[in-house]
Amino acid sequence: MSRLPRFCLVGYLILISSPTAMAQDRSYDQNALRLDGHFGDVSIVRGIDGTVVGRIGVFRGIDVAKVVEASPNAVTEAREFQRNYRPGTIALGLGLISLGASVGASQFHDMNRGITTGLTIATVGLITYGGGRLQQAYNALHKSLWWYNRDLK
Amino acid sequence: MKSRVFQALVIGALVNGAAAGAQTIGHAAPTVAAPESGTTVVSGRTVAASDSSHSYAAQALRFETHWGSADIIRGADGPVIGTVGWFRDFDVEKLVASSPQAVTEARAFKTNNFRGSLVGGIGALTLAVGTLITANSSNNAASPILIIAGAGAMVWGVQHLNAGYSKLSRAFWWYNRDLTR
Repeated sequence: MSRLPRFCLVGYLILISSPTAMAQDRSYDQNALRLDGHFGDVSIVRGIDGTVVGRIGVFRGIDVAKVVEASPNAVTEAREFQRNYRPGTIALGLGLISLGASVGASQFHDMNRGITTGLTIATVGLITYGGGRLQQAYNALHKSLWWYNRDLK
Repeated sequence: MKSRVFQALVIGALVNGAAAGAQTIGHAAPTVAAPESGTTVVSGRTVAASDSSHSYAAQALRFETHWGSADIIRGADGPVIGTVGWFRDFDVEKLVASSPQAVTEARAFKTNNFRGSLVGGIGALTLAVGTLITANSSNNAASPILIIAGAGAMVWGVQHLNAGYSKLSRAFWWYNRDLTR
């Protein structure tokens, strides 16, 4: 009869792996984050249901570092995102305005050619700079969510 | 003797079921109550969790974009295992074949990516032609139409490319989810 506890322990250890994995699956299903984008509107969503945690925006965007604060690596990447996102968006916006201005200026035949050339160069520069910063931002954001999901218990 | 073993396994399973219920209650579940020896059970659980975490760290997919294309990367700083994007035909479906939901999303990504690349590319070409005609100061009535049509097609294409990347994100989410099993 003294062997009974030992057998219990063995039985428990044999079966322990599957419920643990199941619990982890549920945690991932309910809590893992991803990005979702619709018509220029990018959101962070949680779990299978896709509950919107917050939207990425220039002026009233969500504090990503706070959302992923449970994972230190995710917070580092979230800060990298925040460092690049606003400058990238502003530069890209200015670049698009400059593009409109340069197309408009080219319609006037008596316009100084230097102005048109200057606007075109500014357009290319701003769009390239802004696009590059935005790419860095989104890559950091993807990595941040990756780390967060990895550290889910 | 055999019946004792059977009984022991049944009791173990019942205790284990109760412990699993406790685990699933919260995101950060408290330490599982041990039936006989707390230390043995706790260490077993820790090993299982660290194995799954290790699997995720080594196998989980993510992507990084670079001017219209995206590198698919395995692990935190792992190798680039493929590139998708403008007219690239890396087989994402095959990569995530182990997860059925991921395959569905990967298929949607492929469709959106192809449409976005095609229409966006044609739009960019049309816009460039329209801008060139305008820049050469020719009084061609078609140039504003070309610019507007080109810009419109580019916007449509970019929307589809964005939708495609959302699908790719979902595909990897599902794939990574199924890794933890």
